[in-house]
Amino acid sequence: MAMTMNGEAVLPAPRETVWAKLNDPEVLKACIPGCQSLDMASPTEFAAVAKVKVGPVSATFKGRVQLLDLDPPNGYRIQGEGEGGVAGFAKGGAKVRLEDVPEGTKLVYDVEAQIGGKLAQLGGRLINGVAKKMADEFFGNFAKAVNPENAGV
Amino acid sequence: MSNTGIGAPVRRKEDFRFITGQGRYTDDIERPGQTHAYFLRSPHAHATIKKLDVSAALATPGVVGVLTGDDLAKDGVGGLICGWMIHSKDGSPMKAGAHPALAQGKVRYVGDHVAVVIAETLAIAKDAAEKIAVDYETLAPVVDMNAATGKGAAVIHDVAPDNRVYDWHLGDKTATDAAFAKAKHVTKLDLVNNRLVPNPMETRAAIGEYDAGNDAFTLYTTSQNPHVARLVLSAFIGIAPEHKLRVIAPDVGGGFGSKIFIYAEETVCVWAAKKVGRPVKWTSDRTEAFLSDAHGRDHLTHAELALDDKGKMLAMRVHTKANLGAYLSTFSSCVPTYLYAPLLSGQYDIPAIYCEVEGIYTNTAPVDAYRGAGRPEATFVVERLVEVAAREIGQDPAAFRRKNFIRKFPHQTPVIMAYDVGDYAASLDKALDLIDYKGLGRRKRDSARKGKLRGLGFSAYIEACGIAPSAAVGSLGAGVGLWESAEVRGNPVGTVEVLTGSHSHGQGHETTFAQLVSDRLGISIDQVAIVHGDTDKVQFGMGTYGSRSGAVGMSAIAKALDKVIAKGKKVAAYALEASEGDIEFKDGRFSVAGTDKSLAFGEVALQAYIAHKFSGQELEPGLKEGAFYDPTNFTFPSGVHVCEVEIDPETGVTKIDRWVAVDDFGVVINPMIVEGQVHGGIAQGVGQALLEGAHYDASGQLVTASYMDYCMPRADDLPSFRVDHTTTPCPSNPLGIKGCGEAGAIAAPPAVINAITDALGHEDVAMPATPQAVWRAAQKAARLAAAE
Amino acid sequence: MTTVTMTVNGKSVTANVDPRTLLAQFVREHLRLTGTHVGCDTSQCGACVVHVDGRAVKSCTTLAVSCDGAAVTTIEGLANGAELHPMQAAFREHHGLQCGFCTPGMIMAAVDIVNRKGHVLDEHTIREELEGNICRCTGYHNIVKAVEAGARAMAPGAAAIAAE
Ligand code: FES
Ligand code: FES
Repeated sequence: MAMTMNGEAVLPAPRETVWAKLNDPEVLKACIPGCQSLDMASPTEFAAVAKVKVGPVSATFKGRVQLLDLDPPNGYRIQGEGEGGVAGFAKGGAKVRLEDVPEGTKLVYDVEAQIGGKLAQLGGRLINGVAKKMADEFFGNFAKAVNPENAGV
Repeated sequence: MSNTGIGAPVRRKEDFRFITGQGRYTDDIERPGQTHAYFLRSPHAHATIKKLDVSAALATPGVVGVLTGDDLAKDGVGGLICGWMIHSKDGSPMKAGAHPALAQGKVRYVGDHVAVVIAETLAIAKDAAEKIAVDYETLAPVVDMNAATGKGAAVIHDVAPDNRVYDWHLGDKTATDAAFAKAKHVTKLDLVNNRLVPNPMETRAAIGEYDAGNDAFTLYTTSQNPHVARLVLSAFIGIAPEHKLRVIAPDVGGGFGSKIFIYAEETVCVWAAKKVGRPVKWTSDRTEAFLSDAHGRDHLTHAELALDDKGKMLAMRVHTKANLGAYLSTFSSCVPTYLYAPLLSGQYDIPAIYCEVEGIYTNTAPVDAYRGAGRPEATFVVERLVEVAAREIGQDPAAFRRKNFIRKFPHQTPVIMAYDVGDYAASLDKALDLIDYKGLGRRKRDSARKGKLRGLGFSAYIEACGIAPSAAVGSLGAGVGLWESAEVRGNPVGTVEVLTGSHSHGQGHETTFAQLVSDRLGISIDQVAIVHGDTDKVQFGMGTYGSRSGAVGMSAIAKALDKVIAKGKKVAAYALEASEGDIEFKDGRFSVAGTDKSLAFGEVALQAYIAHKFSGQELEPGLKEGAFYDPTNFTFPSGVHVCEVEIDPETGVTKIDRWVAVDDFGVVINPMIVEGQVHGGIAQGVGQALLEGAHYDASGQLVTASYMDYCMPRADDLPSFRVDHTTTPCPSNPLGIKGCGEAGAIAAPPAVINAITDALGHEDVAMPATPQAVWRAAQKAARLAAAE
Repeated sequence: MTTVTMTVNGKSVTANVDPRTLLAQFVREHLRLTGTHVGCDTSQCGACVVHVDGRAVKSCTTLAVSCDGAAVTTIEGLANGAELHPMQAAFREHHGLQCGFCTPGMIMAAVDIVNRKGHVLDEHTIREELEGNICRCTGYHNIVKAVEAGARAMAPGAAAIAAE
């Protein structure tokens, strides 16, 4: 079943910083909720493992993530697919665009994904809420990561 | 009528164990050394399997085996079968794609079986299944029936390049077209018969066991027909020959058709038991049941009815697309064909009928018989058409039906069936009376004053039960004969065991069958035991479905009882030193006519076994007789159900205000049990009409896979029912029984939709008529009214 | 593994269980009391209803360890020896069961309804209160009748009245 989500977040950092952090696997790993590993296969390819819980279904997703249409420092497209074993699968992509705003940088995202298996059967009605919550969590973490005051992250 | 004989509302003998928690269902059984199976299922609707690596799962501590489709192939285990051959219009045989119990290179629906993990505990098996690496290459899913046969649709089975299983027809097209050409009025409807999931409360389960010393298998399973399961597993799938395979179906928690079929999981459990050398148990969870139990219904139909200037029916024309899912399940092919089209005449005298059915593959779970099987779909077509036709020509729907009822019997319809007996007007009259049809106008006005919409809908249904004369079904493509067997064992102390091929999973056979014995032999039902559900105990049988256990199963018992009585007379003749011709049997006693010399049944039984009085004579000792009964015709239960609803147009909530059912089941053995069957059937039919619907999204994901999203009828969705009957005994079987198990589910859906459309004043309401759908329809009704 | 001790049908039991063991699993698999059934995996069918400290709970969503020290009654513990509980008797008398799979949960839920709502129950109340229990066989008609009759029979002195 299809899932779509879009939104934006304003981050307290200049566009170049945000762009750099968006391409830094260590930062992404720290920010993605449930992310257990994120290994770079090439500068634009990662192998990721993340633990996700949607209602009654919890699963460890293993997948490949690719960064496409790189347009530094304005945005890119993330494309990926993950298999969650008996929990099912998820695949899809997100367009990410960065814009300068007085407070720092505005990140606009647009997600389109397909989910299947147990996730769709039991978590279908919850998936949008969970995705939104995960996005909020990610940007909460990411905002902290790009904040120059937390330069150590 | 004795107080436990035929016609008595005897309380059920089986109830004690159920109400005290001592029922014994398959999952309650634990075998020594038992392991647990978990099936890895496809999350994709349509994909090829490029790589399947089970090594990590196999290496997990506690795992005793991981098996795949390759292992099945290596062992030469055959695929699952469909046992009814349907031929297309052009004479070509249906296109049955291979159906391996574990996928071989391709998965075809979400839930399809990819591999099985067998482990010490279910938790270990599940965890290990996570470690199976499957590389899928997804293919375009085929979900929509209309798109499935179109250009460019992906092909599900190579044998069916246009995803058509068959393109079948029945009836006289020329005569039908000619009748339509001269019709005064033609009613046309497009109908959706929504896809349902049977949902017996006990999910399927199986335990396979292998006895190496004897090279023999045992399968405990949730089956409505254990002998058929054994036959298929041995003769077609090739697990083991019949004498090396015992199938036991213990207490079964409801079936409704879904436990007739031979599925992948049961097959794998029994085969795997030998591979791992331990008993293998599998119990479906509810979501697995939604994914992999055979679903029901799922038709798209265009139907037309031709009338003359007086409102007499001239002809009917029907085109149906039937979704058969991704594989052909055990009996799926016959459901939308021979169990459907022959019922399109309903209770009406229609000179010409022509029906075309396309069976279509989609990437969804297999679709097969669900309570009523074909007959609810037919009745929905007929009774919606008839109701709408009456409305269109401005006739009272009851009067219109009465005018077109068949009155002379036997009646040969244009679609195979020869109705033997019935009195349709009697049921209708009684129903009109019980629902207070005359008061409907007043009740409608009362509702209107409260801002509510009231409507009344009829359903005059007929079904063909007592399945079925073996020669007849054989000529139509069935791979088996549909007789039933029985054995009656009189024991030396006068108790009786009846071994039957019928299977009880809620129907109360332990009581009704004992009532028959009590009635015939004049002994108490407490002295009778009904033995069923074990292929080692019962010689052979065809099982329980199609409301056949009374008409066919009990007729076999009646035949065997007749033989027991005949033998008893011979024994009594020796014991009483009289000639056999002078022995009478009545009220449980064998007596010499015109004398006071007599022996009770139990005394004769003892004589039969000690054989002192006739030793050395031609008469054999013992009192045990068997019989096979092959029906000579279908039976035709019929009746009229009337549903009255009140709709709140503000919320779209439909409340069923009253329900009247007047059924003609022929002779009734136990009215309490029969009424219970009617109640349950109506509830399932109301469920279909108002609440239930299985839904696959465009990518082939089943999004109604739990009770969160699939709406089951609950106590507060239903009213109490007024159930009554009329009786025309069935002439074709010795007991006069017609069958009652499916009537409610057949009758109910059109009654509900006819009531809702009556209330709303237009016909645009599809099933399930959820509050949302009815609210939208009420909005449309308001717009139509405003435009007038 | 965690040790849990509880009273089940009047008998004290102690067992070592995996902490994630559900009460339904515990009674079915550890105690072999298989009258308690499991009909779904989303806590919606009520086949698994048992009483914990006198109140109905769905044992499929209750952890066994959370019942440590509690008194649990399952369908097997409802009858008083050979004498059926009035609710059990009412289900038989009114044909409130067919396949029997939902029945243990129904009876346990029904007894709880009477404990909470009293002995005089109208059809509407019974239907609403049975909302958490699914029966696929009976259409509920006879279950409603059985609960109503069972409730009356559970009233103190009801047997005496019936005998008069
Ligand atoms: S098993 Fe507990 S509610 Fe269904
Ligand atoms: S009696 Fe079968 S589910 Fe209730």
